[in-house]
Amino acid sequence: MTRTLLGVVIAAFVVLRVWIWRRRRATGHERVRARWGPFAGDVGLVAGREMRERFRGKVFRVGTLLILAVVAAAIVIPTLNSGKAQPQQVGVVGALSAPLRAIVVASATSAGATVHFVPEPDRAAADRDLRSGRLDLAIVDGRELIVDKPPGPTGTSATAQFVRAVSNDLGVAEAVQAAHLSAAQASALAAARALPLQSLQAATTKGAVHTTSLIGLVLVFVMLSQYNTWILIGVMEEKSSRVIEVLLAAVRPIRLLTGKVVGIGLVAFAQATLIVAFSVALAQGVGSDLLHGTAPVLLASTFAWLVLGYAFYCWVYAAAGSLVERQDQVQSLAFPLSLPIVFGYIMALTAAGSGSASELFKVLAYLPPTAPFAMPVLVGFGTVTWWEFLASAAISIVCTVGMARLATGIYRRAILRTGRRVHLREVFSRAAG
Amino acid sequence: MASLLELVGLRRRFGAITALDDLSFSVPGGQVVGFLGPNGAGKTTTMRAVFGLTDLNAGKVSWNGAAVGPAERRRFGYMPEERGLYPGMLVGEQLEYLGRLHRMSGTDAQIASKMWLERLGVGDRARSKVEALSHGNQQRVQLAAALVHGPELLVLDEPLAGLDPAGIDTIGGVLVEQARSGCCVLFSSHQLDQVEDLCESVTIIDHGRLVVSGRVDDLATTGPRRLVVRVEGDRDASWAGGIAGLMISEVNGGEARLVLDGDVDSDLVLRVAMGAGRVTKFVFERRRLSEVFREALG
Repeated sequence: MTRTLLGVVIAAFVVLRVWIWRRRRATGHERVRARWGPFAGDVGLVAGREMRERFRGKVFRVGTLLILAVVAAAIVIPTLNSGKAQPQQVGVVGALSAPLRAIVVASATSAGATVHFVPEPDRAAADRDLRSGRLDLAIVDGRELIVDKPPGPTGTSATAQFVRAVSNDLGVAEAVQAAHLSAAQASALAAARALPLQSLQAATTKGAVHTTSLIGLVLVFVMLSQYNTWILIGVMEEKSSRVIEVLLAAVRPIRLLTGKVVGIGLVAFAQATLIVAFSVALAQGVGSDLLHGTAPVLLASTFAWLVLGYAFYCWVYAAAGSLVERQDQVQSLAFPLSLPIVFGYIMALTAAGSGSASELFKVLAYLPPTAPFAMPVLVGFGTVTWWEFLASAAISIVCTVGMARLATGIYRRAILRTGRRVHLREVFSRAAG
Repeated sequence: MASLLELVGLRRRFGAITALDDLSFSVPGGQVVGFLGPNGAGKTTTMRAVFGLTDLNAGKVSWNGAAVGPAERRRFGYMPEERGLYPGMLVGEQLEYLGRLHRMSGTDAQIASKMWLERLGVGDRARSKVEALSHGNQQRVQLAAALVHGPELLVLDEPLAGLDPAGIDTIGGVLVEQARSGCCVLFSSHQLDQVEDLCESVTIIDHGRLVVSGRVDDLATTGPRRLVVRVEGDRDASWAGGIAGLMISEVNGGEARLVLDGDVDSDLVLRVAMGAGRVTKFVFERRRLSEVFREALG
């Protein structure tokens, strides 16, 4: 699957480069050729123009590179930390018996590390090597543990975990020795394991799914915000530049608006596909656990809700764009419009971080404005059934159809009203039009 | 059969304001028709009604006898009062795009775009962004946008506003050329001298109602006679003040433009003028369009 996705990405990249190269070669209008690709009809033409203008823009190119960089960092950095195979350098001053060495090695294993013992002639040499960083830990006569900086009780670095484990295990070994236990008793003590815990509530979901969930949430939030703002500004610019009157003389409002949201939507999903394919390929390449367990299902669910979320919000933003014709008016509208997106995002981040979903959060997963954030998190938790997922998607689709009809009505009545911001009550008054 | 745009009984109200009040007139093919009226008369609303850009409370717009719908509108060209093109888009691509929206093939749109840009004197700006063009050149591109798909009807709202004489000549020439090829051309303007030069017919509206409509020649030759008299040494045509039924329309550079009621004898006017000094000019003239306009609006 990964190879297929990688192949699709490479093929898309090559096609895009060839297209750009051909465009740049053409310096005038002497060459007669079809420019508008496979699109047909008003909607296709409008969508094609939107896509072409967006793909050309620096905002899109730089934005895509930034998102890819952030996603790459989110995937690669955890693997760098967990995969740090450098052995812990342990200086040994004086004698360290074989059983104690074995305990140190076992401690390292329990902390996810390996050990390399370095003989040191004396304490002073060990101190020097600790300060210079050549040693992580020095053991003097099997009884004293020396480190350069105290690891602290909550340090999460590999060295901190290793030093705490060695300190604890050697202390236990010394206590066992001081208790003069028999070999069998000492062996039984060494084999002690924590009792398994049974909890009344389901275990919280962490790890790979948690990371995938967070990346997905950020992706949905960034893309919904970015592309809906494009729609808002795009509609406003057509109104403020007055080109809208020329366009509507040839194209019906519903088709013009549909072409616009479809065009920008296709750009959004091309970018999302690129990011997801890149993430999958990179995760596979660096051995990340991003795609283990239920993470692939979560990824697919996030993508599906990105589509559904865009489909719902694009009409809201398009209608809003038809009410304004200046940048400052856009800004005053953008804030209230973004509130449900920000609310859904914060609620989802909180739930994903805590690893459990409240009853309110479960309700949000069925409301179209917040479902794009809440439902993928529930999928990550494994707490929704397929029919619950489909029910939420169906609610979203029905509401999207209703929103599209409402938005088109607002757009048709407001888009040619210029000179000042149009208020909704004017749009719905009987004299409107 | 020549094309015909008919507007019948158009009514449009915006709250308490009546923009169109039972307005009816027609635009025949093969003519340039001037659409005149003071500010707020309803010209822009009428033009928008042709393209379905405003809802009508009553009335209908028909093209060759059939109600105008989306298919017909794609064969019309429109230049709105407030110019509109994508500022950041290349001129050539923009025209191609608009041509395609009017159902042209990509190739045809490209050829037509190039042809119209050259015809309007901006052929070298096809690869420029619209926002980089001067006002006059933007105006030319805007007209090209209305023409690119070879429309059967051209509706142009103030196409000559803000143009230099060369631009007026170019655009005026294109409008006449289009009309000669059978296209219906309706355009509004406040520059009445230019309208008189370009148009065969005019329609004048006020407060959303039709005031006058007809051929410019007919309108110019109806109504009171116009007499232009120059009397050597006279500056204010004071000699004419005493003649009953005669009104001094204007005095300009020693030349008096007089409006005569039907029963005023022109020989009497000549005699009075000769009594005031040596008469160097005594000519009957047509009614100017500006006079038709002012008289029509009271």
